[in-house]
Amino acid sequence: MSATNCLRCLKRPSVAGASRGVVVPIFAPRSAPFSTTAVQNAMPGKPQKSMEHQDRSIRVYRAGKRMKIRKKDNVDRGKPPAPGERKAFRKKIVLSNDNALPVPWVTQMEAGSLSDPKQIGKIVSLPPALQDQLRATEAFQPTQTWGLFRKPSTLVRQESVDLMSKMEEAVENKKTARIVLTGEKISGKSTMLLQAQSHAYLNNWIVIHFPDAQELINGSTEYASIPGTENPTLYMQQNYCLKLLQSIKKANEKILAKLLSVSSHSELPQNITVNQPLLSLINAAKEADGAWSVFQALWNELNAQGANRPPILLSMDNLPHIMKISEYRSSAFEKIHAHDLALVKLFTDALSGNTRFPSGGAVIAATNRNNGPKIPSMELVLKQRLAEQNGETEGVPVKDPYFKGYDDRVEKVLKSVEVVEVSKIGKREARSLMEYWAASGLLRTTVDEQTVSEKWTLGGGGVLGEMERAALLTMKI
Amino acid sequence: MVSLFGVNFHEAKLVQKALQHFYALGPQTAVRIMAKHSIHPRAKIGTLSPKTVTALTAELSTMTIESDARKIIQDNIKRLRDMGTYRGRRHAMNLPVRGQRTRNQNMNAIKLNRIERKG
Repeated sequence: MSATNCLRCLKRPSVAGASRGVVVPIFAPRSAPFSTTAVQNAMPGKPQKSMEHQDRSIRVYRAGKRMKIRKKDNVDRGKPPAPGERKAFRKKIVLSNDNALPVPWVTQMEAGSLSDPKQIGKIVSLPPALQDQLRATEAFQPTQTWGLFRKPSTLVRQESVDLMSKMEEAVENKKTARIVLTGEKISGKSTMLLQAQSHAYLNNWIVIHFPDAQELINGSTEYASIPGTENPTLYMQQNYCLKLLQSIKKANEKILAKLLSVSSHSELPQNITVNQPLLSLINAAKEADGAWSVFQALWNELNAQGANRPPILLSMDNLPHIMKISEYRSSAFEKIHAHDLALVKLFTDALSGNTRFPSGGAVIAATNRNNGPKIPSMELVLKQRLAEQNGETEGVPVKDPYFKGYDDRVEKVLKSVEVVEVSKIGKREARSLMEYWAASGLLRTTVDEQTVSEKWTLGGGGVLGEMERAALLTMKI
Repeated sequence: MVSLFGVNFHEAKLVQKALQHFYALGPQTAVRIMAKHSIHPRAKIGTLSPKTVTALTAELSTMTIESDARKIIQDNIKRLRDMGTYRGRRHAMNLPVRGQRTRNQNMNAIKLNRIERKG
């Protein structure tokens, strides 16, 4: 066996290899007398890079004791988006997709479509006028999959028919249906709220919708105490009120133009006399300052007894947010409970049954599971209500005597509401939905019992949003 | 630009941050002032009404902030110096006051500690 190194000269193999073909000039520069590095390894003629030139974005100066790092000034970072542009993109709602195929058997939603038991398991599309109304009240959400299909359409579920018949029954008896929608994450609570609104619009109800309860309490809109209210002091949110009035006006324009005022309102920015259309009352709110008084006047007008008013739907999404203490502070630096905000109070009064609508109507609120706060009182009361509705006597949850986080005000509001659980869809409904997906060209498999079972199971046993995730959103680009 | 207590702020500046800009006015006091005037936590200074801005300026003018607060600190240091205490001496020499080492890591003391301390 031969040694790797030449034993006689003790030269390194690399050096030996390098020197084999190259004639080393006698005058080759030698770096240092004791250096063991071969001269040939150094590349002559190439200037050595200093640290300063290696990274051009950061220059390092060493002067004095401290090291100064200065970034290069003119780095082109492109044009930043204009104020509000990012939010507009985030909130953008697309309701149609020209690349999706039109589905021939989908019918247009009519006044009675959603309350007709024959329609269960069918897909109905939203008429264009209704789309505008729903857009105005921000009923569509950017996370929903409206943008995948040709026309915005919705599945009529068993729960939808139940809910709409409850609403109709309430109107027949001139009562107010007070309903809280609960259910799993992405099981379709907000869509159910949208269906309730659609039903109300098509049946000429007045709809007042709070699209996100969070906006009312997270300290992002202006607030001021209402003069003359004490114990507790109430607070108005002028800017939110103005926005709400505008959305009410846009969505209910046709009905409000026909309704006439029954009393005069001289306290408003624009004097409103008797027998003027309510639309002109809303138009009196031009600025945020007078918005609350206009809203109050409108609410009183809509609830005027004996004036032959249409039924009212008052709805709110993300209910748990208004069941806690808000981010606002009173002038004495005490935290304000959400129920002391006047707009929230208006809703909770209706939900608890203190306000009665003259021609009946409905108050519907949807809970949320995604970013909603945990409200122990609310969860407890809703479970108790559900157990009571189902006639259960055993296993009804009770208050934990050692827990301090309960809120009496929340319990008072919810103690007599009706709980509608938006549960999982059945396989029949799942099949019709998947047939619709396939006909739209979005599901590229044959829809038979096996595929339906597969997606139904993958979607947590019929959780609608999960089924969409399993079947549709895997191909979302 | 909105002028608050003689300082011009950009409209997009948060009210809380604008208040905290003043010396000796921290987050706690800023939040309390805002609650007193019913200004919501995320308010920008451009959205305040002229009336509120005047009220805020009036409120700030009654408080011990900016030069008044600086004067108090300077007076305290000056008193220590006049009494001839060790702390006063250390302030005058731009050295750490509370027994820290001076071999290294004393740049902050060198920068800040002086009789006419800036803030």
